[in-house]
Amino acid sequence: MKTKIIRIVVVLAALLLALIIFVMTSYFSNRSVTTINDALVKVGTFWTSLEKHWITKNNQRYGELEWLEPYRNSSLLLKNPDTILFGIYDDKYKDGVRRILALEDSLNTRLPIIQVYTAWGSKKKHQFPLLEVNAIRDLGSIPMITWEPWLDVFDNNKYPQLKGKDNVNMNGLALIAQGVFDDYIDKWIERVKNFDSPFFLRFGHEMNDPYRYPWGPHNNTPETYIAAWRHVHQKFQAANLSHVLWVWSPHPAYDNEFMFYPGHDCVDWIGLTGLNYGKVVGWSQWWTFEEIIQTSYEALSLYNKPIMISEFGSLSYGGHRAGWYADALQKIHTQYPMIKSILFFHSLEDFISTKKILDWTFLYDQETLEVLKYYFNARDSILKNGGDGLSL
Amino acid sequence: MNSNFDPEFWKFHEARKPSAWSSFILVILVFGGLINVVNFGMWWFKQEPGQFWLFFILTLIFWWSIFRMIIMWISYIAINKPRKKKAPKDLSVAIFTTSSPGEPLSMFDKTLEACKNIRYPHTTYLLDDTQDPAFKELAEKHGAVWLELVGIPGAKAGKINAALQKTKEDFILVMDPDHIPFPNFFDEVLGFFTNPDVGFVQVSQGYYNQYRSFVAQGAAEQTYGFYGPTLMGLYGLGSSVAIGANCTFRREALESIGGHAIGLAEDMMTAIRLHGKGWKSIYHPVIVTRGLVPEDLGSFCKQQLKWSRGVHEILFSDLPKTWNGLSTLQRLTYFGISTYYISGLTMFLFLILPYFTLWFDVIPIDIEFTEFLTHWVPLALAATVIYLYCQRFLSHPKTEFGLHLKGTILKFVCWPVFLQGFLLSLINGKIPYIPTAKQAVKGFTPFIRPHVYIALFFILTVIWVIIKRMHFTPEGEIAFTRWETWGMIFFAAIAFVMTLGGIYAAWQSRNLDAAEPWKDIDIEEINKLNPDEDKDY
Repeated sequence: MKTKIIRIVVVLAALLLALIIFVMTSYFSNRSVTTINDALVKVGTFWTSLEKHWITKNNQRYGELEWLEPYRNSSLLLKNPDTILFGIYDDKYKDGVRRILALEDSLNTRLPIIQVYTAWGSKKKHQFPLLEVNAIRDLGSIPMITWEPWLDVFDNNKYPQLKGKDNVNMNGLALIAQGVFDDYIDKWIERVKNFDSPFFLRFGHEMNDPYRYPWGPHNNTPETYIAAWRHVHQKFQAANLSHVLWVWSPHPAYDNEFMFYPGHDCVDWIGLTGLNYGKVVGWSQWWTFEEIIQTSYEALSLYNKPIMISEFGSLSYGGHRAGWYADALQKIHTQYPMIKSILFFHSLEDFISTKKILDWTFLYDQETLEVLKYYFNARDSILKNGGDGLSL
Repeated sequence: MNSNFDPEFWKFHEARKPSAWSSFILVILVFGGLINVVNFGMWWFKQEPGQFWLFFILTLIFWWSIFRMIIMWISYIAINKPRKKKAPKDLSVAIFTTSSPGEPLSMFDKTLEACKNIRYPHTTYLLDDTQDPAFKELAEKHGAVWLELVGIPGAKAGKINAALQKTKEDFILVMDPDHIPFPNFFDEVLGFFTNPDVGFVQVSQGYYNQYRSFVAQGAAEQTYGFYGPTLMGLYGLGSSVAIGANCTFRREALESIGGHAIGLAEDMMTAIRLHGKGWKSIYHPVIVTRGLVPEDLGSFCKQQLKWSRGVHEILFSDLPKTWNGLSTLQRLTYFGISTYYISGLTMFLFLILPYFTLWFDVIPIDIEFTEFLTHWVPLALAATVIYLYCQRFLSHPKTEFGLHLKGTILKFVCWPVFLQGFLLSLINGKIPYIPTAKQAVKGFTPFIRPHVYIALFFILTVIWVIIKRMHFTPEGEIAFTRWETWGMIFFAAIAFVMTLGGIYAAWQSRNLDAAEPWKDIDIEEINKLNPDEDKDY
């Protein structure tokens, strides 16, 4: 009996000590991995800069956007731009932005902002997209990241608060505000520190639309949205990341945006979705840009922040697409002086809002291309001659 | 006295005995390591595969080596050392040592002199097929019995079996001719045979020509852990392996399996068969002889090819046949040993993996490198700690302790040879039995060719990547592929650096003189270093 007890005690003690070793090695490696990783990112950054200087010297696009140089490194100028900064999102950008370049070639212009979307989560693709923002900067543009707080793909074991919920996104913003996802945010911020140029960050967009994203009002209250926004913003402030430009971006179809406004001190830009779905879906009609934007613009321009049409575009079914663009651009110059940025929504496979896959691209729509090319021609020549391109 | 005669080498040394305390620490370390394995596994199998087959291959590479490591750890827990027993009086003991055409006469001069010098009464037999009268003269000079055994099939083992017929001794030490035994050899070994179940006693092996070259140093390093913690662990699990050199057999045991096994890995085969018949074995971790490791890369590769082919033969043919007679632990450990050389395949796959990405843009797995490190570093750390802790059981820690990087590089360099052995065994292809060269062979060995091709291919790939990115890759794609591309080149460069190590070894081997390291060994000096303690016979 006695030997039995001794043996069991010895084995248990060994197990306990083994666990301690495990915790220690994990702790040690967590500590050292951060250091190793920082070192690797530094070596990698150095190496890629070597490549930039010695091997891949063909920085054509960067050169063509030379006029953007004062903006690229000045978040001050970007918070208060004296011109309209165009940009684009293309869902197939990972192949080396081929379609963006092709579109730009047809329009005979280069677009200063390139937008990417990234979701929250535990996987690699949910981290701060360091590779993408570096690539966008290499290409001469300013990156914009739309950061979507989906809670579906977080590891339930790591976040017991998500366990056993039918809808993990229910009250999700409150969890964010409470700091449940701080380790994720901190890791994200850690990577942001490796990118020191200004970029736009659009967190939790279209938060006032109950039909779209899980961080909408069907799962959350406006108060928790604001609390979550301020919590995340505060973390960036604490990390001294003042080169991040915060884009608060409601949907213009509702007149409840003001309830979600996080506050003057933590918003740099106001984003608005300007998408005309035409007659593709039952809930939509052929709406002009004015019809989409007018009410919200009136309300939100009172905040006195530059306004960005963060998703700008029209489908072609149910009206005249080229005409829609021409009209919209003309109205922006004549009626909407607060709009300082327009981002084409050039998505080939959009299935977020409808059950159908929608194609927003106009790469092969000659008429629309003509309209836009004409517009950019006029605007770019004004810019070239020292004008601000705000009046055409 | 000669500068190449290091007295430290020629003194009797033995591995330390495990204490309750050290076993307890090992159990803790191994448990800790296993938790780290589980932790790594839970992370690994949750990752998103890139290209399925590449992910599968990568998984195979990682988990094969982890699996082997676990077997190793389990055997470490069992590490044990037999309690030495005094050699009984009046046993009839023989030493068999074999000579083949082309082996240097002067080496036998030293070996036979040392055999004569062993204190326990014994008869030394020289099993000779050189047909050179000088060997006969030499045997007579040192009081050894000269047995001419010409034209016997089965090389070394064949001669041993023939000699068994012609002799009567109950205990037979099979001594490799490049080994110089210490005078107390039998004092250490014979006592174990008082247990009638013991079929053979294997002792540790030391070497004395490490200083000669990179290859010699690396080859010796590869054996340190094996003759220390690994074999002590296998002994603890009940499956000591006869290594060939310096194994003492009970005649009755050998006869029970129809004599010494014949084949490329005949020693291991003999051990398995003896265990299959229920004989017990002893691994006694003492250094009572020192011999030679191959000095040039060509000889080393030949030796490894021979073993790789032979060990795979055991895996495919002998192990299944004896399976029923073996205990579960013996099965596991023999399976572990006989799959050692499959690492040739995994190393080859590891080597070519990055080129799939660099040439065809396919990726095996989409992982965050930091995450990989967070899960892998604890495991690597635990493995290193266990490795280093177990070095307390080396036969001679003072000269053998370390991380054994040369040994690691040399093992990597052998991947083509391991792979060849593996593939040959699949098609049941044959390679001839050739005794391992005892002296350095000059010239650039053809075994280095695959490495030269791989190195050139790496350089070519880098040049191609640079040219492509300089002139052909569109600007946008360049910007998005910088990290991926150079990360993969870095990955490929790890293997490239190891390959360069191999090419260096081959380069050094090119100019190695065929020296006679045994000439520096002074038997009288060895006698003084190992004074007579308990002479009772």
